[in-house]
Amino acid sequence: MLWKLLPVGLSYALLQVKLRFKDDSSLAKRLKDRDPRAMSELYERYGRLAYSLIYRVVRNSGAAEDLVQETFLRVWNRVQSFDETRGALGPWVLTVARNRAIDYLRSVDGKMSAGALELDRLETPVMFSNFDDGALSMDRARILKTAFEKLTPTQKQVIELAYYEGLSQTEMAERMNQPLGTVKTWVRSALKALRDDIAGEAIA
Amino acid sequence: MSRCQDFRESFELYALGVLDPEEKAEIDAHLRTGCAACEASLKNALALNAIVMSLAPDVVPPARLKRRVLAGVGVHPMSWSWLSALAAACILVVALWLSVQERSRAAELSQARHTLIQVSSQRDRLLQALSFLDDPSTLPVSFGKGQPLPPRGNVFVHSKLGVLLIASNLPPAQAGKTYEMWVIPKGGAPRPAGLFQSEGGGTAMHILSGPLDLATLGAVAVTLEPEAGSSAPTSTPIIVAPVAGP
Repeated sequence: MLWKLLPVGLSYALLQVKLRFKDDSSLAKRLKDRDPRAMSELYERYGRLAYSLIYRVVRNSGAAEDLVQETFLRVWNRVQSFDETRGALGPWVLTVARNRAIDYLRSVDGKMSAGALELDRLETPVMFSNFDDGALSMDRARILKTAFEKLTPTQKQVIELAYYEGLSQTEMAERMNQPLGTVKTWVRSALKALRDDIAGEAIA
Repeated sequence: MSRCQDFRESFELYALGVLDPEEKAEIDAHLRTGCAACEASLKNALALNAIVMSLAPDVVPPARLKRRVLAGVGVHPMSWSWLSALAAACILVVALWLSVQERSRAAELSQARHTLIQVSSQRDRLLQALSFLDDPSTLPVSFGKGQPLPPRGNVFVHSKLGVLLIASNLPPAQAGKTYEMWVIPKGGAPRPAGLFQSEGGGTAMHILSGPLDLATLGAVAVTLEPEAGSSAPTSTPIIVAPVAGP
């Protein structure tokens, strides 16, 4: 299962999250100014995370490379609408990467989708504006990891199916051969646990 | 507000695009009303999603991927290290080229010097030969006349200048052999008078410089000898030019 593998990638991922969001706004500004070195920096910051995420979804290195290229091309082409003052560059890149991978997975499964347009709408730069500075801190990443470890196996499974396979709750119910209501309870409780742990730590 | 509470539980799935259509439509409609609290919740959901996504197991992408990504957006990744390597390669190529040019020039110069020495030497020999022909006291002796395809030509002897041999129909000496001229006193043993080769077309010119006692000179001869020459003839003479004294 994914979460058993987490410790391998965790320290790198936490480091990545820690290093972001401070200087992303100047990077975004340079991307908008079409500074060629900015694109190289963007890849240095998020290329490995994007590749890891996409590879987790598609399980194929050749396809993962294609999709990483597509991700960065999409970011480059749409960055003009990005709000560099209060935008969240890292989450935007990761979301584009995840959506490209899910879209690929659906097309391979022959489910060419109504969902493709929907994913496109959910990754517009405008969606990633007006973020609080603390929303993506290293503390939150560490808390989230701890919170995940406390989830039950079925809760972990539904989170995986949503994030890495792009399944709706109805599709999860079919896949897991469980009633829809049960699946919804697992999903709701899993997300609540994550949310509450982060919120609780933030207040504390 | 209770509806907002309900929506907040779904914003992560909404942002992932995995919400069932009816729920999604409800949230879309609600967000369009400009609910600030739900807008903030949506941002939190996006942040939570990003952190979850960043926890995927770490896999190192191949190095070529960065070049592909940059090329994909029309940026050519010429980093300083690449530029340095390129500059070093250029300098190396130029240095090699200059070195080759230098060697080539040195070789050309050496060849030119060699040619100059050869030309100068030939000119000296010709001037020397002319001095034989120009001097009235030179005694000419012809040889080889009347024989089928013999070496033929003339020997010019001079009491102070020495002997000048000019021959034609003299085939090139076979490998490891050379022609040797002999000065043969009347009633005496042949004395070595220098080694020579015939040139292209079977012509040859050879000079023995130095005074000669024409009164005792009986003949000038040429034999084929080993390459290093001999102190006495080892083969039958090819040319024999009897010299009748003055």
